[in-house]
Formats: sequence, structure tokens, C-alpha cells
Amino acid sequence: MKKRLLILVAALGLALGGGVAQAAETVKIGLMAPLTGSWASEGQGMKNIVALLAEQQNAKGGALGKPIEVITEDDGGDPRTASLAAQRLTTKGVVAVVGTYGSSVTEASQAIYDEAKIPQIANGSTAIRLTEKGFKHFFRTAPRDDEQGRMAAQTIGKLGFKKVAILHDSTSYAKGLADEANALLKKQGVDVVFFDALTPKESDYTAILTKLKGANPDVVLFTGYYPEAGQLLRQKKGMNWKTPFIGGDATNNADLVKIAGKEAAEGFYFLSPPQPQDLDTPEAKAFLTDYQKKYNELPPSIWAVLAGDGFRVAVAGIAGAKSTDGDKVADYLHTRLKNYSGLSGPISFDAKGDREGDVYRVYKVDAEGKFVLQKL
Amino acid sequence: MEEFIQQLTNGLAVGGIYALIALGYTMVYGVLKLINFAHGDLFTYGAYLGLTLLTSLALTDRLGFTLGMVVLVLMVMGLVAVLGAILERAAYRPLRESPRLSAVVSALGASIFLQNALMLIYGARFQVYPDNILPTATLNIFGLYLPLMRVLIVLASVLMMIVLYVFIQKTRIGTAIRAAAIDQGAARLMGIDVNRVILMVFLLGPALGGIAGLMVGLYYGQVNFTMGWVYGMKAFTAAILGGIGNIPGAMVGGLLLGVIEALGAAYLSIAWKDAIAFCVLILILIIRPTGLLGERVADKI
Repeated sequence: MKKRLLILVAALGLALGGGVAQAAETVKIGLMAPLTGSWASEGQGMKNIVALLAEQQNAKGGALGKPIEVITEDDGGDPRTASLAAQRLTTKGVVAVVGTYGSSVTEASQAIYDEAKIPQIANGSTAIRLTEKGFKHFFRTAPRDDEQGRMAAQTIGKLGFKKVAILHDSTSYAKGLADEANALLKKQGVDVVFFDALTPKESDYTAILTKLKGANPDVVLFTGYYPEAGQLLRQKKGMNWKTPFIGGDATNNADLVKIAGKEAAEGFYFLSPPQPQDLDTPEAKAFLTDYQKKYNELPPSIWAVLAGDGFRVAVAGIAGAKSTDGDKVADYLHTRLKNYSGLSGPISFDAKGDREGDVYRVYKVDAEGKFVLQKL
Repeated sequence: MEEFIQQLTNGLAVGGIYALIALGYTMVYGVLKLINFAHGDLFTYGAYLGLTLLTSLALTDRLGFTLGMVVLVLMVMGLVAVLGAILERAAYRPLRESPRLSAVVSALGASIFLQNALMLIYGARFQVYPDNILPTATLNIFGLYLPLMRVLIVLASVLMMIVLYVFIQKTRIGTAIRAAAIDQGAARLMGIDVNRVILMVFLLGPALGGIAGLMVGLYYGQVNFTMGWVYGMKAFTAAILGGIGNIPGAMVGGLLLGVIEALGAAYLSIAWKDAIAFCVLILILIIRPTGLLGERVADKI
């Protein structure tokens, strides 16, 4: 009797298991994004864009004839949370993952996806190291910091600044960019008069600003993120200090002006891939119209758009490889995806998974708080 | 020299905020021997409530700047004080007779609850105060640029500390608070309503924390739901630095911590600022285990 019961239970279990497998006739693509924490506005934008693209793709037939299901996990902008999020996504059977924004956050999840043979396409992570580790399943639609460092040094040269102060925030992204720019600037013969880090998430940076002012630079290069950049600009104005600031691409967020206030933000330069509204491919224009129709606003930043490109590349990879097998998709993306027309311009990946081509531009904040593309 | 004085004022402004929050920690500890970990979150509530009242009631537009600010300050103080009293009622009073550890766990739980409630109400994004509320004038004193608001922040915090000090030293209820801090049992035998004293402490501390939150919101402009953690941590450090349980100690500790941070950043290293501050704390605790002003046990609180 006991044995029979056991068999019955086992059979029931199998039947249920089979039922679950059959119901799962979707292609699951994971999205790992900072939906909470300091970078929540980036994460919300990433989620909105990927949701809209998935909707559009499903209307066109999905992937491999099956509808696409986006599974979103919050990484909280924090490496520890990210590794948990990555583990959850791998157990949920996703075939590719889009994300995430911060470099140190992505770094915590890379090995988990690579081991599970799931292609990961990061959208905001620009630290050089990420693609130097030989992970076969890692790609990024974002450019690398050394390219940004080169652009920073070049821009500072072109604007004619001779004495530069460099400030970072000790995150792997900001420190990497600061080091790169520091080396290149010294090579150009520019005097780097200050190099140090602030503590992110504080509100009072006047002690640092006073020290920076004492070093008497022509320009300050801040390589950290927009919440701190906004505070620095606001408090710099309170000190009546006029020296211009240049930011890295992590300062490219509309909240920067909200935090600093328009007056304080005016004249701030930053380097970035083009703004969503400055994207000029017909596809991007059509997509932005759709996005505005659905959400009544523009995407918060280019990084969210790059997450959209990550999603499209993942779909293209699955279609091109005619399989959801991680190895095959990764091979296809490495070798056969050439000049795919992404929202942010043509996309090809090199052997390391880095995006090929030049994407950086220089922007300046005007009196209205708008980001204006500069021609240098 | 000029830079030194500038850094000193920077440190005093931050220290004033630390001191206001530290007072809440130290008063509760003085009376209950409890570290109220949710105090940092009450500070955050002050900042958020200020933002909501400011934008939804448009106080400064209707009543003019000075009167509007006074009303705003009183409203924030009142609301956060009520919140503090509710916290005491819900999280601490039921555990009054339990081992001290239970109350500490309850405090941590209350902190997590308050923080997440705030996130669910307002969302996880940064909230920004309107940027045209405060006068942006900058005073120029012998080549030193001091934003007017910074000076006002320091003055306001010092003023509030003096008022609190006089209140504790000179009034009947202040005397009752001091008595309960020395010996709750004896105070009860002398006819002091200890529950009322504790309630008073949970009204005063949060009110000051709420004001500190409002000042940070108004001056720095950006608030987020986790900001109470960093400030709470620093203020707690300040309270220990000055001698926890001792009101003048919290004031001195707060101002000192702010100044140490600013000068440490200026003359040693910015990146090591917090490490320097904590090294000073450890040194002081090695030399004076009760904190700077902690030895006057009889005068506690």
C-alpha cells in the first residue's frame, strides 16, 4: 500500500512537472536593473524601454516563433544584491540577460552568468576590467572607460585647460576613468594638481571643494555619478567658486540639474554617448516617438537606451543562431553580428565582447538646464 | 590660514547637524539605557515631511518667507515628535521590562520598518526641494565666502541646543528627566511619573532630529530615504565621543566630529576622512572610556 502510494505521488509529481514545462513555451530574457537605490531612475528607464521593445517584438512574432517573456530582477545598484539577483535569474531559466548599469554591480554578476552559459549584455558598465577577464558570454553595448578617458584628455586639451584637478568616488568605474585620464593628461603635458576621492552618498562636500579650490585648478574633472556631481555643483556655487567642472558619462542624467539647480548646473561639461533625443537613426527616432506615446517622457538617459539595444541584440543573437543555447548565441554575437542597426548606431562586438566604434560626445548644460551637444 | 578658517566653518555647519541628531540618541540613552537605532530614520522623516509640507501647502508663498519658515519648522517638529511618541509606544514600551537586548532588536526593526515605509510612500528616487526657497546670498568676510544659510544653520543649531539645555536644567519637567536618568526607581518613589518623562524624551529628541532633517533638506536640496543611516551613524558616534547620556557631551561631540572630518579631509586625505574621524573616536575612548564629558555620572542628561 505504501509503495503504491509512493508511485502515485511520483507519477503525480511527474505529471505536474511536465505540465509546468509545457506551460513555459516562452523565450525568457532576463533584465537586471537598479530599480531601487541611488540609481533607481536609470533602472526604471531600463525596465520601461525593455518592456516596450519586448511588446513590439512579440507583436512581430517574438523569438523563434515563441513569445518573449522579460523577467526583471532588482540589483539595487549594489554588488551583493546583484549576485543574488543573478542567481535568481539563472534558476528561472532565462536564455540571455540584459544589464546592468554600474560596473562594480555588473562585475559581481559576471561569473555567475558565465558559469551558467547565459549571455549577458551590460548597458552602463564601462570599466575596462570587465572584458579583460576572458568571459565568453559577456558583452556590452556601452563603450569602455579607456575610450572615455581618451576623450576626456582630448577635450581638456581642446578647451585649453592647463591645470587639472581630478576627483573620483572610489567606485571601480570612477577610479578606473580617473586613473586613465590622469595618465593620458600627464602624457599630454597637462599639470594634474589634485587627485583624490570623495565618499559617495553624503550631502556635504564643502570640505572637499574648499581643498580643491586651494589647489587652484583651471578645471575639475569629476568621474563619479550624478547625485554627487549635482551636490558638488550646488555647493560650489554657494562658495562663489567659478572654475568649470567636467563630468564623466555617469553624470549624464536629468536629475543632475534637479539636484544642482539650473543656475549652479549651467556651464557644466560632460562626456557621454549621445543623448536619447540626439540619436539620429530612423529606428531610434521611431522608437523614441513610441516611447513618448507610452510613457509621456523621454528615456532618462542613454544608458536606458543602451539596455534597449542590449535586448535587441539578444533577440537578434537568438534569431541568428536559431537557438537559445548560450554558447551558440554568444558565438553568433562575437563573430557574425556585424553592423547591426541598433538604436544608438551600428553595433558589432569584438572578440572580448566590447562594442566597436566611437560613441562619445561632449555636452554642456545651458541656462535652461538642457544638455546641449558641443562641436569641438 | 584662510583655508583653515573656511574648513573650520564647513566642519561646524556639518557638526551642528550631527549634534542636533546626537541629542536624541543621548537623551534616550540617558533615561532608558537604550540606543534608539530608529532615530536616524526620524531625521529622514523630518526631511521628507518638510518637503511635502513645503510643496503642498506653499507656506512661504502664502505667509511670506520668515513666517512661513517658522510655521514649517513648528509643523515638522510637531509631526516628528508625534512620530517619536508613537514609536516609543509601539516599539519600546511593551519591552520596558524585557532584557535590554530585546529593545535593541526592536529598535533595529523599527528602523527598517520606517525606512521601507518611506520608500514605499515616496518611491526610491531622490526627492528634490524646490531650489528657489532659500536666500542664496553669500557673505564675504575678509575674503572668506560663507553662504548665509550655512551661518544660519550653525546659529539655529546652537540656539536649539541652548534652549534644550536651559529646559533640562531649569524647568520642573527637566528636573524630572534628570532625576529619572539618575535612578528610575527612586524617581518613581519620589512621585515622578516616569512614563511621562520617557514620553517627553521621545518628543524632544525626535523634534530636534526632525529639525535637523528639515535643515539638511532645505540646504542641500536633495533627500533620499536612506540618508538617515549615514547621518544617524555619525550622530551616534558624536554622542559616544562626547559621552553618551550627557547632553552637553552630545553638542560638543557633534561639533567636534564635524570639525575633525573637515580638517582631516583638508590636511590628510579626503578618501580617508571617515577613517580619520573614527581613529580619533577610538583614541578618545582609549584615553577616556566614558567619552569627553562622560565622567559626571551624577549629572547625566
